[in-house]
Amino acid sequence: MASLIEVEGVSQIFETREGKANWALWQVSLEIEAGEFVCLIGPSGCGKTTLLHLIAGFMKPSEGSVRFAGAPVGEPSPDRGVVFQEYALFGWMTARQNVEFGLRMRGMGRAERREKAREALARVGLERALERYPHELSGGMRQRVAVARALVNEPRVLLMDEPFAAVDAITRTTLQDDLVRLWQQTGVSVVFVTHNVDEAAFLAQRVVVMRPHPGSIKRSMNIDLPYPRQRSSAEFAQLYAHLGEALGE
Amino acid sequence: MAVDTSAAETTHRVELETAFLDGRHRARRRLFLLRAGLNLCGVALFLLAWESVPWLFPSINPVLFPTPSLVFATFWPMLTSGEIPVNIAVSVRRAATGFLLATVLGIAAGVFTARSRLTEYLTEPLLHGFRSVPVIALVPLSVLWFGIGEGAKVALVATGAFFPIWIATFIGVRDVNLVYLRSAACLGAGPLATMFLVVLPAALPLILAGLRQSMAISLIVLVAAELSGATSGVAYMMSMGHQLFRVDIMFIGLLLLGTLGFAFDRLFVWLTRRLFPWYVN
Repeated sequence: MASLIEVEGVSQIFETREGKANWALWQVSLEIEAGEFVCLIGPSGCGKTTLLHLIAGFMKPSEGSVRFAGAPVGEPSPDRGVVFQEYALFGWMTARQNVEFGLRMRGMGRAERREKAREALARVGLERALERYPHELSGGMRQRVAVARALVNEPRVLLMDEPFAAVDAITRTTLQDDLVRLWQQTGVSVVFVTHNVDEAAFLAQRVVVMRPHPGSIKRSMNIDLPYPRQRSSAEFAQLYAHLGEALGE
Repeated sequence: MAVDTSAAETTHRVELETAFLDGRHRARRRLFLLRAGLNLCGVALFLLAWESVPWLFPSINPVLFPTPSLVFATFWPMLTSGEIPVNIAVSVRRAATGFLLATVLGIAAGVFTARSRLTEYLTEPLLHGFRSVPVIALVPLSVLWFGIGEGAKVALVATGAFFPIWIATFIGVRDVNLVYLRSAACLGAGPLATMFLVVLPAALPLILAGLRQSMAISLIVLVAAELSGATSGVAYMMSMGHQLFRVDIMFIGLLLLGTLGFAFDRLFVWLTRRLFPWYVN
């Protein structure tokens, strides 16, 4: 059976500010299975966000093909939920209205979507912030709403673009714990972009290490440490060092 | 023993908190009263200084520079006779109709020109050309073409108010954060839902700024239109005062216009807060 996401020989060309051609990705191939948790890691300019956007359907590859569930990726769809770095919640809607948005677009009735939104927000620990506007929430709470907004549509993959980069370190670790829990509960695939070695080591079943100029995949490393992972364990320290080396090579 | 200590501690803490919050409350109240009192004092001082002009400068002709008491003596009968309320009502109706017309047309034009390259490039030179012409310059032409009817004045106000709303909506809609559009797309929103639920609310801060600017312009154009041909209205009343050599009536007009402009601006801010609770300035 084919993988959930199949990226085949994908290249992506951009025009730089100086008017030159630049390959954000060069002949990248990657397969991601249903239910898998994959981290894309690498320095800035390695094309990890571009790769995520191609899977989301925000742009078409200059060359090669991106397939999702057997079909070529077209327009963005609620099947592929996206969580952005920040500022992606609609500021004019409450947390509940933000989460309801996708359901509303599907034409779901008011009472039903209200109940679903309440459940989704409860799952991320925000049942008490239903009627708050994003500007009344902390950075961590906002990202929880963003995760709930994507998950409520029951996507087959969750595409996350450095979602916890802008929150403080203490909040980040609780958000990571919760993400692992949600991933295990829902069985959704996760593609998680980060430039943080600790985050990748804590979260991923597989870490795809990328390098820039041109953006390409350097290595793909499976991690078989069981969840929940202990940051204080010797295995984790070893894994951290191993990943750091792979990134620095 | 330990329980006693903690109970005493709790009582102490509550006492401190109550005293603290009471103090804060009193301080806020004092500040509010001080502000209101000083506001009133400022107005009173201004009126007093104005009233004492004939005493300080006996050479000034009170007919050309009437004191507040003289102005008020003219104002009161004009108010109770209904002359002033009628003129206010007429002016407000003209300004409001023109402004609302400009709001609908300006937002529609802004959306259409920002969402399509074709309309944007086609209208670009016209938009920037026409908006550079001060609308007051159109007043004589409008009188020549359309006379001094209500329609002509409303059209002038609408024309003046239209351009700032168009520009503001255009920029707001064109420059909507890409992340909002992408979020809407991957949540399954079509073009119409994206426009009404995402793009317009995202552009709202700019649109509101444009509307506020247009409100001020509406008043300016209204005065220009009424001064150069009308049979009623606040500015018409002033121009009658001018012809009758009644500076006191002209002063009344100025005060009314200032009050109207101020009141509408406050009303706008209040409505914005009520309608868009999520929008924090």
